[in-house]
Amino acid sequence: MKKHIKFLLNGREMACEVEQNKRLLDFLREDLQLTGTKEGCSVGECGACTIIVDKLAVNSCLMLAVQVDGAEVMTVEGLMENGELSKMQQQFIDKGAIQCGFCTPGMMMSAYALIMHNPDPSVEEIKTAIAGNLCRCTGYKQIIEAVSCSCGK
Amino acid sequence: MIAQFEVLAPKTIQEALQLISGNPRAKILAGGTDVITGFHQGSSRFIDTTTLIDINHIPEMHAITETDSHIVIGAGTPFTHIVENPGVIKYFPLLAESCSVIGSLQIRNRATIGGNFINNAPCADSVPALLVYEAKIRIQSAISDREMPLADFLVKPYKTQLKPDEIVTEVILTKFDDGYKGNFYKLGRRRGVAISRLTIAVFGKVENDIITDIRIASGAVTPIGMRIAELEQKLIGKPANDDSLKEAAIELGKIILEKTGIRWSAPYKLPVMQQVCYQQLHTLVFGKE
Ligand SMILES: Cc1cc2nc3c(=O)[nH]c(=O)nc-3n(C[C@H](O)[C@H](O)[C@H](O)COP(=O)(O)OP(=O)(O)OC[C@H]3O[C@@H](n4cnc5c(N)ncnc54)[C@H](O)[C@@H]3O)c2cc1C
Ligand code: FES
Ligand code: FES
Repeated sequence: MKKHIKFLLNGREMACEVEQNKRLLDFLREDLQLTGTKEGCSVGECGACTIIVDKLAVNSCLMLAVQVDGAEVMTVEGLMENGELSKMQQQFIDKGAIQCGFCTPGMMMSAYALIMHNPDPSVEEIKTAIAGNLCRCTGYKQIIEAVSCSCGK
Repeated sequence: MIAQFEVLAPKTIQEALQLISGNPRAKILAGGTDVITGFHQGSSRFIDTTTLIDINHIPEMHAITETDSHIVIGAGTPFTHIVENPGVIKYFPLLAESCSVIGSLQIRNRATIGGNFINNAPCADSVPALLVYEAKIRIQSAISDREMPLADFLVKPYKTQLKPDEIVTEVILTKFDDGYKGNFYKLGRRRGVAISRLTIAVFGKVENDIITDIRIASGAVTPIGMRIAELEQKLIGKPANDDSLKEAAIELGKIILEKTGIRWSAPYKLPVMQQVCYQQLHTLVFGKE
């Protein structure tokens, strides 16, 4: 039971046939081969699958692919600017905010969604924005620092 | 792999009601934070479901409207919108506060208020605030349209009065006159992103040092979110002093024990519950220290 959907993905218009019972996460990773988005817990708790839909951070494991029909979607692959790492990506490297890197795409999507609405967030605001993203190795201090330093301060 | 189903995306409430009418294998899909995990884990609740009716494309389902006397929240409104709504913050601060501590931002961006109480888990965090505000809900089907207090709608854990062909469309809140104050408290295993172990909402009015109205609702420690009417009755008319509040907190322990029976967690939870209740009433009566 496939359905035809149209949406904007990282600025590109997409038109696809998708199984109605497919989660958005599986659609991105399997059908579109965008494996930057990770699957951790599958139940909304870890944030590894975080992407941005219509300017809001969401867990792609808790949405169906058909639900992005007509929406604007951004994944970690959309962060790159003119083929180069974006400021935030570079800050994550410079501040040592990545170890195994599994949480990083989701973490950056949560942070990017925050900065879209609030270009100069406080540490408290950053903490609230990434509270749904678990990191098991780095520790949050470096991550918060990286986010903070990518806000043009 | 998730079982097969089709997803329908109606644009109006009427269309959604037509689709669900006479189709017992159809279920509403709101924020999906319960439905999609349920499907993914093969939950028995969804074994018979072959159709999901996605209500996210119906504007009235996620609108918040304010009049002089009321605020009406579409049942499909995600928590993020509720938390940011100036009218909700001003007139129903306990609701704004309790919704702001639900899950993570990603969850609040999707999860809806209707889904929260329709699921009727004991730990549904929006419920105690809605109960002290005496929220009503509007429930529609293709052939009926009824309103009832949320308190009557919630029957027992994971069970409500919702019929298979019905959709909850609105949460109706009546504004209060001046002089009412309230508090909400949530205790989880940790501070961030945690399922509640204990929630309490208190709301009331003190006039000339007498407690003239009080509403107390609990969640997570009780089988479902509920008002503690016995305790409210005991407090109304009492002098607003420390003795009354202490007495009430001790009484609450007894009442909760009656409602839940003795569980292994009782020796831990009861004193905490009593202390939290005391603190919340104290803040309500004497203000923040
Ligand atoms: C990681 C995580 C953390 C969480 N943390 C919290 C927390 O801290 N506090 C808390 O209270 N909850 C928490 N939850 C639970 C959950 O997010 C809520 O219960 C949520 O509000 C459910 O709403 P929904 O819109 O996602 O519902 P859905 O999953 O879309 O639906 C839930 C049920 O209600 C039915 N339904 C939904 N809307 C309607 C309607 N308008 N009319 C008729 N039927 C309807 C659906 O058919 C389904 O049976 C958490 C969940 C997750 C995954
Ligand atoms: S995989 Fe989606 S939140 Fe963990
Ligand atoms: S870097 Fe390994 S989980 Fe965050």
